[in-house]
Amino acid sequence: MAGLELLSDQGFRLDGRRPHELRKIQCKMGVFKQADGSAYIEQGNTKALATVYGPHEVTGSRSKIEHDKVLINCQYSMATFSTGERRSRSKGDRKSQEMQLHLKKTFEAAILTQLYPRSQIDIYVQILQADGGNYSACVNAATLAIIDAGIPMKDFVCASTAGFVSDTPIVDISYLEESQGGPELVVALLPKSDQIVEFQVNSRLHLDNFENVLDMAVKGCKDIHAVLSRAVKENVSELASHMNKT
Amino acid sequence: MQKLDKFLNLKTKHGTVVRVVREHYLRDDIPCHNKLCPQTCSNGPDCIPANVSHILLPDCFVTRTFAEIFELPEFRGILFLQTALHSALHEGNRRIYNRLLAKVHDGKSGCAVVANEFCRDIYDLPEAGEKLSEWQFRMVHRSAEWYVNHLEQQKAVIILTENNEHFEEYKEKTKNVFVLLMKDYLERFWPELRQAQDIYESLVVALESETQHGSANSKDYTDHLSSDILQAGIKSGIYIEGSLRVNKYHAREEAFVQRKGVDSKDNAHDSDVLVSGMKHRNRAIHGDVVVVQLLPQNQWKGKITNLKHQSGSEEDGDSNKSSSQMPSGRVVGIVQRGWRDYVASFPEDQEMIQLAMRGGKVLMIPWDTDSKDTSWNSSGSSLKDHRVIIRIDSWPLDSQYPNGHFVKTLGPIGTLETELQCLLVENTISVGNFSERQLQEMPVNTDDNPWTIDDAEVGKRRDLRETHLVFSIDPKGCEDVDDTLSVRQLKKGYIELGVHIADVSHFVKTKSLTDLEARSRSTTVYLADRRFDMLPAILSSDLCSLIGGVDRYAVSVIWKLKPDTYEVEKVWYGRTIISSAYKMFYEAAQMIHDEEEVGEEEIPELTGFGEEEKRKRLADLKWSVDKLIDIASHLKARRVHEGAVQLEGVEVKVELNEQQEIENLVPKQTLEIHETIAECMIFANHWVARKISEVFPSCALLRHHPLPRQEQFADLVMSARAKNFEIDTSSNKALAESLDQCIDQEDPVYNKILRSLATKAMSNALYFSTGSLSEDQYFHYGLGLDLYTHFTSPIRRYADIIVHRLLMAAISDEPDEDLLGNIELKQLCTHINSRHRSAQNAQKDSQELFQALFFRNKDPEEDPSCTVDAVVRGLRSNGVLVFIPRYGINGAAFLQDKSGLVLTFVDDDHTEWVPGSIERSEYAVTVKTASSEWTYRLFEHITVRITVQPSRVHSETLKFSVVKKSPFKADLEGKFQSSGQGLRTDIVKEVTTADKSKSSSEMREKVVVMGKDVSELQKLYHQTKEKDSLYTFLQNLHELNLSDDR
Repeated sequence: MAGLELLSDQGFRLDGRRPHELRKIQCKMGVFKQADGSAYIEQGNTKALATVYGPHEVTGSRSKIEHDKVLINCQYSMATFSTGERRSRSKGDRKSQEMQLHLKKTFEAAILTQLYPRSQIDIYVQILQADGGNYSACVNAATLAIIDAGIPMKDFVCASTAGFVSDTPIVDISYLEESQGGPELVVALLPKSDQIVEFQVNSRLHLDNFENVLDMAVKGCKDIHAVLSRAVKENVSELASHMNKT
Repeated sequence: MQKLDKFLNLKTKHGTVVRVVREHYLRDDIPCHNKLCPQTCSNGPDCIPANVSHILLPDCFVTRTFAEIFELPEFRGILFLQTALHSALHEGNRRIYNRLLAKVHDGKSGCAVVANEFCRDIYDLPEAGEKLSEWQFRMVHRSAEWYVNHLEQQKAVIILTENNEHFEEYKEKTKNVFVLLMKDYLERFWPELRQAQDIYESLVVALESETQHGSANSKDYTDHLSSDILQAGIKSGIYIEGSLRVNKYHAREEAFVQRKGVDSKDNAHDSDVLVSGMKHRNRAIHGDVVVVQLLPQNQWKGKITNLKHQSGSEEDGDSNKSSSQMPSGRVVGIVQRGWRDYVASFPEDQEMIQLAMRGGKVLMIPWDTDSKDTSWNSSGSSLKDHRVIIRIDSWPLDSQYPNGHFVKTLGPIGTLETELQCLLVENTISVGNFSERQLQEMPVNTDDNPWTIDDAEVGKRRDLRETHLVFSIDPKGCEDVDDTLSVRQLKKGYIELGVHIADVSHFVKTKSLTDLEARSRSTTVYLADRRFDMLPAILSSDLCSLIGGVDRYAVSVIWKLKPDTYEVEKVWYGRTIISSAYKMFYEAAQMIHDEEEVGEEEIPELTGFGEEEKRKRLADLKWSVDKLIDIASHLKARRVHEGAVQLEGVEVKVELNEQQEIENLVPKQTLEIHETIAECMIFANHWVARKISEVFPSCALLRHHPLPRQEQFADLVMSARAKNFEIDTSSNKALAESLDQCIDQEDPVYNKILRSLATKAMSNALYFSTGSLSEDQYFHYGLGLDLYTHFTSPIRRYADIIVHRLLMAAISDEPDEDLLGNIELKQLCTHINSRHRSAQNAQKDSQELFQALFFRNKDPEEDPSCTVDAVVRGLRSNGVLVFIPRYGINGAAFLQDKSGLVLTFVDDDHTEWVPGSIERSEYAVTVKTASSEWTYRLFEHITVRITVQPSRVHSETLKFSVVKKSPFKADLEGKFQSSGQGLRTDIVKEVTTADKSKSSSEMREKVVVMGKDVSELQKLYHQTKEKDSLYTFLQNLHELNLSDDR
């Protein structure tokens, strides 16, 4: 499908969005009762499930214990049915290991790690359906799950992507847009302080355009933050009303 | 966040069936692009105006099939749906899609696109079991309903379809939404528009024949491979991609594929691929981008080296004498069709027509010799003696000729108007009058209501009216003066040089109708007897033209130059107001410089002053002109030092009398002052290029020269060797120097021919956007400059207007929102480049047409102007190529005719065709008969007679026959004495570098060098400032501008 026009003449993307528009986000916190914290997020057709356990004692080898901060353990996996063709994936493949590492770094920077020395927090994320922006969906889901678990963080961590098509930056790119080979920027942001905790660029992007694309990605993160914080507030007020009843 | 709904689209991909889920967002804020919109749609520039009687809504099939009809300017107010455009893209092809979009963006077409599939009120998922075409039509109808309601019933919408079922089903479903069949619509609404109906009919016939052909079995050609296979093949190196060029002289036998993206590093694999014969060409046409497969080496052939007789239709391929073998191949696929409109006419005699009439089709013969015969579906004998425009539809496997359809008639064969129209169509130039709305945008300047400069503008601009002596130097009869100059003495010996260019961008605002029109024209087209302006006359010859004695807006570049060395100390760019004091002709300026007596006749501005005053003013002017010439010679020297190359070409001017009849053909003359003006313009262009590329590193419009290919120089090197000269083509400087060496004292034409050969070897100079190339390709090699652009002729060239806008944005503080981005600029550059090439070709063709007309009315035996001196320029196995210095014409003269007879001389001035043979060696052709032997050496002077070869279907051409094997004395003397020293000056050309392997590093050095102290370098290299060797080949600006794209 070489003839696809990612951005039409009229300024619409293939799925009907304008360049600055995010995909529809739906999220839910506390989807599992047995975990300390859990959340489910849909960004368009990308769906992710995150569960958080901890802080608890370090499991396994004692050599992993850190004496001044908490040990963060991330697991990332993709469901066999997450893509067009059903495929069982081995657990420790390169892609997911890389993703785990990125997620670990992201949350080490955001969680107040010094509060729980010699303990461990587990973050498990699973992609149920993959349609572009897997990393950002994981980060956003994990943020909600951590908040659900009541683990203190500096701020929400919101992640978003941005691409660059025919001289225009586009935010929150889908799998179709991702796979056309243009540049892709992945940003994880602490929205209140505007601090970037994670940043990746795939493929080449001219320096002159860089700023514009980054701005677009940052704006995407802030929009996501607005959605997430509303979800958190709703969740809290629901919990509160629940508690008042009982 | 907006309200978004999500839908799922289920799609299958080729190969294994995969379920792909895609999101589809439906929204409420789809703009309707209509000026009548009662709601608050955020409509862009492409809107349907309020004054259309109804809105046309072609359905998917009609959109992609009858796109051509909608392209006619009469059709306005067409609403293209996203659904329909998508189907044009996927079920039709990208060309249709792009052309429709071009129509929408035209600005004056009043068409719009509505993204109906994203509209909440329109989109509906396909129902189970619904066919694609049914769903598409349902979408179209829903869109129409929505549109009518959206506009609150103000306008009716007409849906055009070709499908009777849809027509019956939907025809009276909704109020104000009418469904019509295409045919009925054209008959009811456009009964006068014959053209649309003609196109419609021929398209329908073409469509029918297409479906018929599906079942045919006998095949003349092999199938083209699918694009996937081609892509894979190209990547793996089995296939070669390139554009097909048909040899004009052997249109049926020979075509070459020029490889895409070649560089001269790899010489062995660099040469063109020969595609010999129609079978191997496999339905490709001149200009197509094709994919070829190389044949096994034992089937390779050589180039045909003999001259083809004009009237000889079928030649036996085997008997052709061929040069050494070259890679040959066959076309396996076509990436992109280069089809355009073709001019054609009916075969001459009635029998041929009868013969050619098969199955309602007529065989047409194209005007252009490198295209193919076309069969056309129609029955119109009234057009028998007319030239008509044909468009190609398809070329089925089993047909010898492509199928096409008739578009319109140009007029009877042979008249000047028709032939000129032909030239324009063949070069894809369309010129019409400017529309009323475009003219309404123009400022008014009449006697009752004279145009004056605006006081607000005076405040914003630097006023040079009092302080500077501004003057212009132009050819006689020039109306569009776009450049003026000024020179001033400053303190401490500094000199101030100013170039003031008409401020066209002040009058032509971005995206105005005039701007759009100028963009589509891109350049003023000069034909031998007329010109087609890019801008309306009020601008081009009045308000923008910097005529003498009136206040005009200008954009100026002013340099402060160091005394003596004339190095740039400071440069100022900006908008100014000037008042040109003198509008001189080149001849007058030259006379002033040569201290000849100048009177009021030459300088009309001096009329009315006293003797004393007159002398004083003249002295001022003389100082300015002299200084200018001095500065220009320095600039030139600096440029030559960097490797600028001068090339030759002879341009002929057609002199017309009052009745528009041709009086004479005269080669153009060049004076020193021409070169001076040209040099100043090059200087200004260079400095503007510096400024804009610095401020806009990714979207400045510059001009560069792709590198020439080494093997292109083979002809030149060979020709030089014939007279024992060596040409060094390793770099531009080496080339320039070795060309200077090649001077034959006895034959001044020799150097001229070599330079024209060098010109041929060069690639074209091109516009480009700085974002699209890497910096080491910016270099302008022919001029020896690191950066170059076009800035000095905004009245004639659209590129200059863009550069003006860029420059203005570069010097102003606030960012200009309207500037083009890299991608848009890149597209624009491609467009301008192709328009320029067309304009150039049209100009060249018109010259040839007038040459033919000039000789047509002359009796070749009697008229002295038909017998001229010629130089043997090239050798072929049955004739020689000659160059005629008197008229600057190149042509071929036969020594052997079709039946194998050779040309011999009986007495001094009598020739005869007798049996004999021809032998060709490296530097000579020898004609041998039983009794005598005649040898034609390269660069020998002979006498030829010019006659006109009549032709009905093609353009008339000149024919040359050898009458004497000795120089034509009268002509020789007359010509060379008159042109005297101006001989080597004619045309300077932009040339490219040669050796690419070295060039990138060299170039970078040179770029640095340019910025450094040039006088220091001149000392370092013992570069003299003398004019002697360098001075003679500066050039005429207009010639430069016109010729550098060839």
